[in-house]
Amino acid sequence: MEIRSFTDYLRSLDDADLSELFAARPDLVSPVPPDLASLAVRASSSHSIARAVDSLTEFEFQILEACVALNEEFTLKNLISITHKDAAIAVPRLITLGLIYPTDKGLRLPTSVSQLLINEPAGLGPASLAKLKLTELNEAPEAANRVLAQLIWGPPRGSVGDIKNPGPGIAWLLDRKFLVPLDQRTVIMPREVGIFLRGGKVHKSYESTAPAVTGTKRVEKSVNMAAAANVATVLGWVEELLHFWAQEPADALRSGGLGVRDLKLISSHIGIDENCAAFIAELAYLAGLLTIDGDDRILPSNNFDIWLTQSAETRWSALAANWLTTSRVSGLVGRGEAKSVAALGPELDRVNAASTRKLVITLLNEQPNLAPDLASFTRAIKWIAPSKRNPGIQEELIAWTLREAEWLGFTGQGASAKYGRAFMTGTDEIGIDTDLPKPVDHILIQSDNTAIAPGPLEHDIARDLSAVADVESRGGATVYRFSEASIRRGLDHGKSGEEIRSFLVKTSKTPMPQPLEYLIADVAKKHGKLRVGNTASFIRCEDTSLIAQIISDKRLEVLSLRKIAPEVLICDLDAADAMNVLRSAGYLPAAEASNGALITGHRSHRAKAKSKPPRVIGEIDQPTESTLAAAVRSIRAGEKSSHKQSKIRDSAANALGSLPRTTANETMDLLAIFVEKQQALSIGYADNNGAVSHRIVDPIKISAGALVARDHATGEMQSFRIPRITGVAPL
Amino acid sequence: MTDGPLIVQSDKTLLLDIDHPGSVECRRAIAPFAELERSPEHIHTYRLTNLGLWNARAAGHDAEQVIDTLIKFSRYAVPHALLVDIAETMSRYGRLRLEADPVHGLILITKDSAVLEEVIRAKKIAPLLGVRIDKETVAVHPSQRGAIKQSLLRLGWPAEDFAGYVDGQAHEIALVQKDWKIRPYQELAAEGFWHGGSGVVVLPCGAGKTIVGAAAMAHAKATTLILVTNTVAARQWRDELLKRTTLNEDEIGEYSGAKKEIRPVTIATYQVMTKKKNGVYAHLDLFDTHDWGLIIYDEVHLLPAPIFRFTADIQSRRRLGLTATLVREDGMEGEVFSLIGPKRFDVPWKEIESQGYIAPAECVEVRVNLTEAERMLYATAEPEERYRYCSTTTTKRKVVEALVERHAADQVLVIGQYISQLDELSEVLGVPLIKGDTPVKERERLFALFRTGEIKCLVVSKVANFSIDLPDATIAIQVSGAFGSRQEEAQRLGRILRPKSDGRGAIFYSVVSRDTVDQDFAQNRQRFLAEQGYSYRIIDADDVFQGKI
Repeated sequence: MEIRSFTDYLRSLDDADLSELFAARPDLVSPVPPDLASLAVRASSSHSIARAVDSLTEFEFQILEACVALNEEFTLKNLISITHKDAAIAVPRLITLGLIYPTDKGLRLPTSVSQLLINEPAGLGPASLAKLKLTELNEAPEAANRVLAQLIWGPPRGSVGDIKNPGPGIAWLLDRKFLVPLDQRTVIMPREVGIFLRGGKVHKSYESTAPAVTGTKRVEKSVNMAAAANVATVLGWVEELLHFWAQEPADALRSGGLGVRDLKLISSHIGIDENCAAFIAELAYLAGLLTIDGDDRILPSNNFDIWLTQSAETRWSALAANWLTTSRVSGLVGRGEAKSVAALGPELDRVNAASTRKLVITLLNEQPNLAPDLASFTRAIKWIAPSKRNPGIQEELIAWTLREAEWLGFTGQGASAKYGRAFMTGTDEIGIDTDLPKPVDHILIQSDNTAIAPGPLEHDIARDLSAVADVESRGGATVYRFSEASIRRGLDHGKSGEEIRSFLVKTSKTPMPQPLEYLIADVAKKHGKLRVGNTASFIRCEDTSLIAQIISDKRLEVLSLRKIAPEVLICDLDAADAMNVLRSAGYLPAAEASNGALITGHRSHRAKAKSKPPRVIGEIDQPTESTLAAAVRSIRAGEKSSHKQSKIRDSAANALGSLPRTTANETMDLLAIFVEKQQALSIGYADNNGAVSHRIVDPIKISAGALVARDHATGEMQSFRIPRITGVAPL
Repeated sequence: MTDGPLIVQSDKTLLLDIDHPGSVECRRAIAPFAELERSPEHIHTYRLTNLGLWNARAAGHDAEQVIDTLIKFSRYAVPHALLVDIAETMSRYGRLRLEADPVHGLILITKDSAVLEEVIRAKKIAPLLGVRIDKETVAVHPSQRGAIKQSLLRLGWPAEDFAGYVDGQAHEIALVQKDWKIRPYQELAAEGFWHGGSGVVVLPCGAGKTIVGAAAMAHAKATTLILVTNTVAARQWRDELLKRTTLNEDEIGEYSGAKKEIRPVTIATYQVMTKKKNGVYAHLDLFDTHDWGLIIYDEVHLLPAPIFRFTADIQSRRRLGLTATLVREDGMEGEVFSLIGPKRFDVPWKEIESQGYIAPAECVEVRVNLTEAERMLYATAEPEERYRYCSTTTTKRKVVEALVERHAADQVLVIGQYISQLDELSEVLGVPLIKGDTPVKERERLFALFRTGEIKCLVVSKVANFSIDLPDATIAIQVSGAFGSRQEEAQRLGRILRPKSDGRGAIFYSVVSRDTVDQDFAQNRQRFLAEQGYSYRIIDADDVFQGKI
């Protein structure tokens, strides 16, 4: 079969080839296209091509650029001559990805690749229309050489004062067509000139293998120890943050997310910088440990209670998994720009965040015991994945990922550590639980009213202790301080002074200092002397016998009265209702103005709502073998049926001599072919009212969902919206 | 993970488990760079501060040593970020050096020209500098040696001062050790200071700071200016110097409100130095009148601001600061560091106590129940009057009487804040009172009588907080104070810490009114004293009356 188009090429592929294509570009089969024509359309769409291009290494991308520069059908030999001998290695991969394809005459690019992707590949201008005597360039005058030197590495355009009155150098070049006028003030250097001046190559240099990562060598043992410290620290930070917000929920901004002031507050509370605080908040958010409730308060969700009971390893794995897959980039918070991006806010999604993160961790894991320096590491990552979609933040993203990997304990002392490696291989046991210090079940109370837990405290003890003491310092150990306020808080929690005392005596390894016993007794003695409560209304009467009568009156039970003083009753109903009830029972109450402030007690806040972790832009999962096979089968089936249908349609159309009709995919496919051939064609086009007319057009290009073409009827350029093209047919 | 005695916290505190067998070694290893914050019975807390790390650098320790020490003794893995931070902080010290250049005079020199560029561009620094000599050197106006050190410290680039000192006018001074001997730590302190050039020696009250001063003078063998807190302290310095050194009465002058003598060794009070006449400090010239070879600042933590300002101008003279604590309630630790010098010697209170150089002490808080009437009065008092009211109640007086009676055989000091209360106590107890307006002669007479044991009990106001040597006082009873100030507690406790001839321990009573702000302040006191490692207990006034102590 003659291969004329990309679709033809796809038709020529066997099942194994198709499978390989789908494996390399999983977005093509999600969902599975109905037939090969649709597949070709999808594979030529700008999104899909952008994804495919993103998966190229720098070298492969350079080769692709060179392919674009070659413009027409080309052979591997052509390609190597203007690039590097290792292009022979890159080409098969580009073919697998469907970014170039072989035809009978040589290799070609699907039109959309050159059109959508690269206007001026590698900074080269368009191909010259005239025949050029390139050797003349060697004798170019000095003035012309200066101009050429400006344009040689692109961009190939330059502005001149007036094209009609150019300087001597430009004039010389224009005369020989080494520069071509683009408009009144701009000249452009043709591709051939550029390649010639670049010494026959498209790029300055080629690196066909990944550049080496350099850095500081570390000792494995200390790397792992440092990572263990990082793991323990990050878990502590998350817990501390959530405890903090449990006491004092932060208010979300109207535009969503965490305000700068609240961020500062948590960063100073935990004792970390604001970048790290934003990171920790995002981690908790992703893991569903905190939520933004209906009243725009940021507070821990009920998942947090479950989380607290989990082992360190489970907790860490949850954080690590979320971090790896999220598209949210906490590094953007407070990046020192005019407009600040809020943590937990809606503006943190970046499309290549997850892939960059995975790449960074993978590359780190490939360099055991090496703490890479940022420059060489960034260079290597950029070689592996020269991001075309978000080039602006790529470098920062790498730096942030390294920073976050250290915070999270994927690395220790900057080098990849065993927990991160184990996690990436998906083993059941990462080893965190065995390496982290064992929880301790005792504290040491000292006479300066502090208690020290010489290691991570068991959850129950930590919870009870933090009810009666304030945390003063954290780390490997925790220092708690008892104060009047903290003991009072314990009493507010419903513990008695004696309970607090016996809890401390039981938990402490050291004898209870006498001043602390005094402190507890003092506070307990004073606590609760004043009573505060809520009530809706009160009933007051100086006649105590009437009060006695009311409280024993069965008809008034609905009021649930309580006597708080000989002359005062309180009541659950509000004053108006209470008065109605009293009146109906035959009493003669009068309203009395009152004002009472409500005081709510100490409470640890939780949202009732289910936590809604933030939205994540997912990367498409790598399909499994069976999915791939299924996809191929399904396309083959679709192909058969659509082939049959279009045949039926064709014969119907021929019989009627009516307007051409093709399916949307066929339309795209055909248009692509015609655009490439620059050959006139006939289309059916629906106008605003739905009336379909027959047009003969010279196609020029496809852009933004429209066919730009010259209409033979009017002789003018017009853009035809593709959805309105009812069909395409050759003339 | 090792099983070390040290736990490194993420807030840069270090917890030292003193029951651990390795704790002594660890304490020695971390003492040079970590400040001891609290030393209660089980776990001591040290803190890593920038000043502390720079002090360590000044003493010749490098970051690697510090980090190795932490890792070696740490029980758990030390967060890497903290280690990086330590290395970075320490590397900032000494990046800039002040040196004396034979051609250009005082210069600021560095090997890291970027740092020099940074500081030269700082607004506060530029006016202090002279011409730029080359990429790594810039001249400094010699008069601004102190100011530039202050400013550089604030910028976070503390300069090391190698510009040297003037010798001052020579004057022969030597220690005379006939019936006493200099203690090993005192000698170490004096040597540490001398080798460092200038700096601060931190010793607990009662550990013999005067002798460190005298030993430093014997090193310097030059005319010396000694700055002390008040006249009584000045006289005590004079007496000590007469007793401990070759100096005679004619060689020591007193420069105070009463006398204005300038001799080879001159002892001046802060008060006279900072006295203003027509809006100018009339006596600051004293610094210039003589070619002093050494200037000693007693009780550095009380150094008033004008003296700092003047100290900035005399950076070419050797300076020795003596203090019991580097903590300044005004937070001017940085000024002490940059103007007087880094810490040169430090030894914790408890260690000296265990060597028997200071007496062990026990702190007892006596809780007094107010009568109903007193409580009512307290409840209705104006907030600013409350403390005064509750700390001067009649019930307290009775407790003091009972305590004094109990300790009739001991030397007792009753210390208070409010003069009216002290007047009353003095009258009731029938003992003399020393307060601000007691003439110096009379004070000295009473102190002398107290030392000889002719007077068993004295009532003193806060004038006695500082630098008064009362070797045989074993009991202090505190009835009111400056709202539980840590400094005051340390000073008052210091009064009774001189070792007793019979080796008895001292008792420090604080009489406190229950359920009042007095009790809240007592909590600060308890925290401070317990942090210093003293045993602290609380008893009820009834126990005192019934003789159960």
